[in-house]
Amino acid sequence: MNLAQQLINGIVLGHAYALIAIGWTVLLGVARLVNFGHGQMYMLGAFVTWYTVSRLGLPYLVAVPAAMLAGVAVGYVMQRVMLQLTLKQDLVSIMIVTLGFGYVLNGAAALVFGSTGQILETPLSRLDIYWGDLWLTWQDVALVVAAIVFFIVLKYVIDHTAVGRTARMVAEDPPLALLAGINVKKVYLGVFAFEGAAVALAAALVAPRTPILTSMGFDEVIVTFVVVVLGGIGSVLGSYFAGLALGLFTAFFGALVSPAYTTAAAFLVMIAMLVLRPGGFAAAPGSR
Amino acid sequence: MIPMLETRDLAAVYGGNRALAIPHLAVAAGELVGVVGANGAGKSTLVNSLLGWSRGRPRISGEVTLAGEALSHLPSFERVRKGLLLIPEGKLVFATMSVEDNLLAVGGQLLGDRRRAYALDDIYDLFPGLKERRGHLGAQLSGGERQMLGIARALRLGPRALLLDEPSIGLAPRLVATVLATVKQLAADGLAVLLVEQNVRAAIEVVDRLVLIERGSIVAQGPAGAMRDDPRIAEAYLGAHAT
Repeated sequence: MNLAQQLINGIVLGHAYALIAIGWTVLLGVARLVNFGHGQMYMLGAFVTWYTVSRLGLPYLVAVPAAMLAGVAVGYVMQRVMLQLTLKQDLVSIMIVTLGFGYVLNGAAALVFGSTGQILETPLSRLDIYWGDLWLTWQDVALVVAAIVFFIVLKYVIDHTAVGRTARMVAEDPPLALLAGINVKKVYLGVFAFEGAAVALAAALVAPRTPILTSMGFDEVIVTFVVVVLGGIGSVLGSYFAGLALGLFTAFFGALVSPAYTTAAAFLVMIAMLVLRPGGFAAAPGSR
Repeated sequence: MIPMLETRDLAAVYGGNRALAIPHLAVAAGELVGVVGANGAGKSTLVNSLLGWSRGRPRISGEVTLAGEALSHLPSFERVRKGLLLIPEGKLVFATMSVEDNLLAVGGQLLGDRRRAYALDDIYDLFPGLKERRGHLGAQLSGGERQMLGIARALRLGPRALLLDEPSIGLAPRLVATVLATVKQLAADGLAVLLVEQNVRAAIEVVDRLVLIERGSIVAQGPAGAMRDDPRIAEAYLGAHAT
């Protein structure tokens, strides 16, 4: 086993996990909501990217925003449908509705894109980088750079801009936010649209690494769940480090023990973490 | 003269029980009106209902107008944007945000009708204590500082009318005087202010007019000087014995 290669794999995988999870992190942090259709939204982002590049013949740089737009539209529609449940914070119904939405997305995607596996090739995924025994693609580099930039920008927006302050007010106390003149419903809609865009961006960057299927989504929602819980619910920085840690863990566990038990081992770590440090990595109250 | 804030037939019903029934109440610009009454009389329900706001789920009906403009059909946040500001009882600051973020999160909007939205410097001039604590989290503030921050955040939104729900609750007597003096000054600056207070002794010193509420209805109202001698006020709230 080449440790340096596993380190590279872990770092790339970690940034992929962090990017896939970030939409849910914000969703949970601001709106106290869950979305079990998150994985299927990832699938949709991957297929919109694939369709734009492979079928429409448009550049990858056009496909990425196209996928994000599709994500925004799905997120908005989803939240619009269940806005009353959101306002009542009826989490059980929201879980069931979003789970159902996921299956509807699965079915609709199979109808539109077919149920055979596809390869999403981008100009960057075909460009290899060799460094001695070490290997990665420019797609991997783009993924890591995009994830880092995305997290820095998001952290800045949340901490230092009017939009971020508005989101934080709604996250802490929606009724009090109303008294500050904030349209809480609009914030909820915006957060769901953001989640859609973020997971679609993740899909456009991460999906070229593996074959894509319209039936996928379950693994991604599980990864997201682990990252969000380990990172501390609603914590942007926590999610970044949790994603990275999970990526490194997966790479090294897969190489040292067996890839077959990686998910089970990751859940064991998550259970231990929940018992020992219930707040996740970012356990301090109010940390982001 | 058109009152700045006026309500007609304001009612609130919780689970079939009528908690409030106010046929008419008006506050002029520059007027400070105190609302007093026993615990559970409906004082908080009154100010919350004017804004159509509550942490519970009451059914609210009736007309509310601000500077002659009907607000009743608007959701709470729209009424706030029109200039009707409530500083609620209890939790009134965002505890996980710094003092400055509490203030920066609101205001800065373009306000029509020559409304004055306080700039950050104006706020710090009015409340120097908040300037010193600008980097501290809301959770780290004392009760008095929270009250100041609640009022300051409302001022950032360019109020025409302020609704204050028990601003003196839990404060030391010296701070009560400071808070009420600030409220008095804001009214003198032209705001219509409706002040809910349990501390009748302190409130009667600053208000122009006093409204007494019992079981959700107005049972007496008048100028502060006259109400001081009203036996219902004097006996129940000022500890005096009617002769």
